[in-house]
Amino acid sequence: MNLTFKLAWRNIWRNKKRSLITIASVFIAVFLAIFMRSMQLGMYGNMINNVVKTYSGFIQIHKKGYWDEQTLNNAFKYRKGLVDSLKQIEGVVDVIPRLQTFSLMSSGHLTKGVMIQGIDIDKEKGLVSWEDRLISGNLFSNNDNSIIVTKDLAQYFNKKVGDTLVFIGQGYHGMSASGKFSIGGIIDMKNPKLNKLLVFVPLKLAQDYNSAENMVTHLIINKDDNAENDLIFDQINDKLDQDHYEVMTWEKMIPELKETIQVDNLGGILMIGILYMIISFGILGTVLMMTEERIYELGVMLAVGTKKIKLNLMLVFESIVLSLLGVLLGILLVSPIIYYYHINPLVIPGPKGQALKDFGFEPLIPFSTDWKIIFTHAMIIFTIAIIASIYPILKVSFLKPVEAMRAK
Amino acid sequence: MNNIVIKTNNLSKIYHQGEIEVNALNNVSCEFQKGEFTAIVGPSGSGKTTFLNIIGGLDSPTSGYVQIADVNISKLKSSKLIDFRLHNIGFIFQAYNLIPVLTAKENVEFIMLLQGTDKEYRNKRTHDLLEEVGLGELVNRRPTQLSGGQQQRVAVARALASKPRFILADEPTANLDSKSTTQLLDIMAKLNEEEGTTFIFSTHDQRVIDRAKRIIVLEDGKIVEDKK
Repeated sequence: MNLTFKLAWRNIWRNKKRSLITIASVFIAVFLAIFMRSMQLGMYGNMINNVVKTYSGFIQIHKKGYWDEQTLNNAFKYRKGLVDSLKQIEGVVDVIPRLQTFSLMSSGHLTKGVMIQGIDIDKEKGLVSWEDRLISGNLFSNNDNSIIVTKDLAQYFNKKVGDTLVFIGQGYHGMSASGKFSIGGIIDMKNPKLNKLLVFVPLKLAQDYNSAENMVTHLIINKDDNAENDLIFDQINDKLDQDHYEVMTWEKMIPELKETIQVDNLGGILMIGILYMIISFGILGTVLMMTEERIYELGVMLAVGTKKIKLNLMLVFESIVLSLLGVLLGILLVSPIIYYYHINPLVIPGPKGQALKDFGFEPLIPFSTDWKIIFTHAMIIFTIAIIASIYPILKVSFLKPVEAMRAK
Repeated sequence: MNNIVIKTNNLSKIYHQGEIEVNALNNVSCEFQKGEFTAIVGPSGSGKTTFLNIIGGLDSPTSGYVQIADVNISKLKSSKLIDFRLHNIGFIFQAYNLIPVLTAKENVEFIMLLQGTDKEYRNKRTHDLLEEVGLGELVNRRPTQLSGGQQQRVAVARALASKPRFILADEPTANLDSKSTTQLLDIMAKLNEEEGTTFIFSTHDQRVIDRAKRIIVLEDGKIVEDKK
């Protein structure tokens, strides 16, 4: 085996220029593929974080049927035992309760339907960057009687911090709900739709207002950034009684985001596909040359008693080593760059960046450092190299010494 | 059959060049004894190389057979034939055909590595053979760093490395100058005399023919003369 590897290794460096060109082409392909995919997948990750961490969370638990009929009557009792058991799942950072309902908000002659979110502000801070979104005033504490309104609502009612708003609606199981609360803070949710709709209320206050003591409509799962969403989803499902609860991932709750990413991702995959086609022909061309120009020599080796399997191993090893060097070089050079842009994301400038801002997205592209991107593209290159090796394997399998030695 | 190394029986080889049939060999039967120093001569196209290729198991006859040490090699499958060649036949080619990425020493060792011999034996035999062909000082040179004559001497050492039953040499001096030719012939004659190595050459070279102990003349694929 050593002899085979020795021959292969020396054959690689026998024509340095050709080998270096092959290594360079593999390197460029790997570099570009990992760079592009890290950028693209990093951007999607950021989009998901923007949306999911702003509002929905990665996974939500509701009473069964709530998603189809989002009324307070589909709330469920908050059970500490259940929450504690969910928190034991690996990757789950916290379980955040919410009570969500709709109500009329009024001041003077103005009235508007709003969505009231009863939240535990201390727990929510682990999911949402509230301080960054606060325009004026302060965040309430869980025992306060003040509320936070979104900026467009404050503007609509022409209210500022310290002003009062009146609420009237229907509480749990048809109870009447009414109240008067002062504005403690005004917030920008970085999302035009949410800015016209949301009012945040301390959870306890929301429960009192709705006569829904200890009731919640949502349990939001806050997870570790690196934890697998699907894995946590499966484990939660295992722990919960399927007849009473429904568990939903963000993909199901916000399908439009998933579809947007899928469509955009197709373009990226197409580009990578073209890149790999080019590199495949490059590798195949090299393998063809390396085989064809050595047919005579291979014939001689066969004549003096070299087994075909050894010749095949030698040729396969040559193309694997060339690819491996290109892949390693690519990984080595691209890794610090993607890490740099992971820590210091690219900023999308100009109107495009502003448009993203207006829709609640940060105009940033933090590169993904997911090792799977690197592994996947390294494996693709190896597969291409192995497939390209089929040609010399076939050629050697049918090689006859006399015919090969006539090739000179 | 004790001293008979090779026996050919009614060997024929027909090539097809388009629609034309070419009889490269036509019912050739002969025997080669151990220790012979034989030159196969004849004009171009007489079938010398085809005859050597078939004896060496590099090509197969259209009819007839070749028997080496009781083995009918014409019936061996490709993989068995490769193994048979490795252990029984040494080759010297007109264009030397050393492996370009290996040094002189490694080229000689190569065959023994394929045979799976142990390192100590391999090192000693490589050293002895290269000394014998006068290249003891150039063991670490690659073929491109050696002259044609030196390369052919490495090829002789390589052919001998596996201790084959016989060595086939296809026009071994065709690319050599007269000094190198003489040196090579001296080495081969010495090996033949002292170690009893059996050599079979195909050649046009009168200097080689002059040194041969047996001369087989081929014409149009037939043996027309066999003189000892």
